[in-house]
Amino acid sequence: MDFITSLFPWITNGPLVTVQVMSGLSVGMFLFLVSVGMSLIFGVTRIVNLAHGSFYMVGAYLMVTMVEILPDRSWAFWIALLVAPLGVAALGGVIEVGLLRLIYRRDPLMQLILTFGLILVISTLVLLAWGPDNKSVARPEALAGSVRILGQPFPSYYLLVLGLSPLVAVGLWLIFYRTRWGMLIRAATVDREMLGALGVDVAALYTQVFVFGSWLAGFGGALAAPTVAVALGMDADVLTTAFVVVVIGGLGSFAGSFISALLVGELQSFGILIFPAVSIVLLFALMAVVLIVRPWGLLGRPEE
Amino acid sequence: MLSARWLGLLAAGLGLAPLVLPPFFLQLLTEIAIVGLFATAFNLLMGFGGMVSFGHAAYFALGAYAAALLVRRAGVPMLLALPVAPLAAAAGALLFGFFIVRLTHTYFAMLSLAFAQIVFTVIFKWKSLTGGDDGLLDVWPPAFLKSPVAYYYFALAVVALCLLALRAIVESPFGYALTAVRENPRRARFIGINVRRHQLLAFVVSGAFSGMAGGLFAFYNGSVFPDFAYFTKSFEPLVVALLGGAQSFLGPLAGAFGFKILEWLISRQWPVYWPLFLGAIVIAVVVALPQGFVGLVGARAWTRSAGRR
Repeated sequence: MDFITSLFPWITNGPLVTVQVMSGLSVGMFLFLVSVGMSLIFGVTRIVNLAHGSFYMVGAYLMVTMVEILPDRSWAFWIALLVAPLGVAALGGVIEVGLLRLIYRRDPLMQLILTFGLILVISTLVLLAWGPDNKSVARPEALAGSVRILGQPFPSYYLLVLGLSPLVAVGLWLIFYRTRWGMLIRAATVDREMLGALGVDVAALYTQVFVFGSWLAGFGGALAAPTVAVALGMDADVLTTAFVVVVIGGLGSFAGSFISALLVGELQSFGILIFPAVSIVLLFALMAVVLIVRPWGLLGRPEE
Repeated sequence: MLSARWLGLLAAGLGLAPLVLPPFFLQLLTEIAIVGLFATAFNLLMGFGGMVSFGHAAYFALGAYAAALLVRRAGVPMLLALPVAPLAAAAGALLFGFFIVRLTHTYFAMLSLAFAQIVFTVIFKWKSLTGGDDGLLDVWPPAFLKSPVAYYYFALAVVALCLLALRAIVESPFGYALTAVRENPRRARFIGINVRRHQLLAFVVSGAFSGMAGGLFAFYNGSVFPDFAYFTKSFEPLVVALLGGAQSFLGPLAGAFGFKILEWLISRQWPVYWPLFLGAIVIAVVVALPQGFVGLVGARAWTRSAGRR
């Protein structure tokens, strides 16, 4: 124990550790919103959507625009938070109907390459629409400051994120396990052909799932906009981390994404304390270990 | 394979190019040759081995950084540092490939990407050795190779030798065994081929030649940057091979030619729009031309068909 405390002196600082755990949870929450959508889309359509980070970025930029054009009232932020993800969902719908539909029967690698092409197109369009400078979104007045938790300052906006996370997780669980639509989604992840043979319109389900997954990414981006500099390059950063989350949790697994997002959030939060320089390497090392020991992720299913 | 006559004509044309082309175009041709080598090495895995790596920038960068570090930090002359580039990349490919070839398809692609991100992060963060974001500058070849014409001939000769070696590997019993593994791993195992060892060897060879391309590029560019290992760089050989046609040995080379010319034409006019065009081209090729442009021309005589995966 003495050895550990001499190595990591902060470990006996209870309040610091608590705040660190909480900020890890809120980071994990953003990651969960992005990765659960990515995982959901993969589960149903078998496409690994590399453009998912781009959807997150578009959500954040739409948030910037919405906050700018709405009148400066206390409710403007919340309206923007509702509308911006809808824009991303619409974008996802256009992409699914216009492009992905054409290639569902193709080699999975062709699908990966196509979604990579989307990254390039979307990032250039964002650059043209919003320009090269970083943007920022002001936090709503009620949540602009910080609160003290065990004497440590903690931004109150993160409390919102922490409060929303169980809501979103429970909401998704209800959708997946208590609605007919959720049942169809779970059936599609197991056997799409059988689902089609039973008379379900699988093509429509694909579109709905893709739109819903895009909405989740857009919501994540819109919610994250006040906590980060909204900038080009967000897409790649989020994509790589979400990718790690999805792979660790298991592609197509809802619970896997949740556990792994929180795990990765905490790892990032504490990685900075333990190995400041190489916290990202930790992340990828964890992913590599998981892929070697359980190539299909903690809660995923082996590839057919 | 191109007939000997056409190859001779091509060689003569490239050899005489410095007499008519201004230095700028020689630099463009040098870049085409290097990218062509990178994509051909990559395609040994994709086209012939049926393994698609999403992280080949790692080996390009390992080669580039190995050569650059030797020159800058140890004062080794360039002509001795360059051969180390493929060796360093091969060592990296052996270490990572050992794990990567255990997986298939999507998971293979993703683990290769993960390892490449590790390489990128290490290069980016290890400032005292690699210079981090600032890269390593002043990585020039010796005076007699410094002019565009001299380096053009040098790079062309090295690339030609590498392509001949890769060609020999593809045509060797190992190359055919690799194709057999691609077509049907289970049957390949039944006839006594050690599938994993063949895949790992192909991975290492592909990594080594990618490292050679990286080393050549380091001295062409005069500097190396962490971007060399970034995931967008990993897509370059993929896109190039796809454009040219992954089914043929020379497809990636043709793809490199088309890719670089296009990049030059578009980024000269509208530099901001280049990624937009590239993305649109990639999407169009995937949707409309799964065989690449070579497939469009239908130039089947170019090479032994590697068939569909």
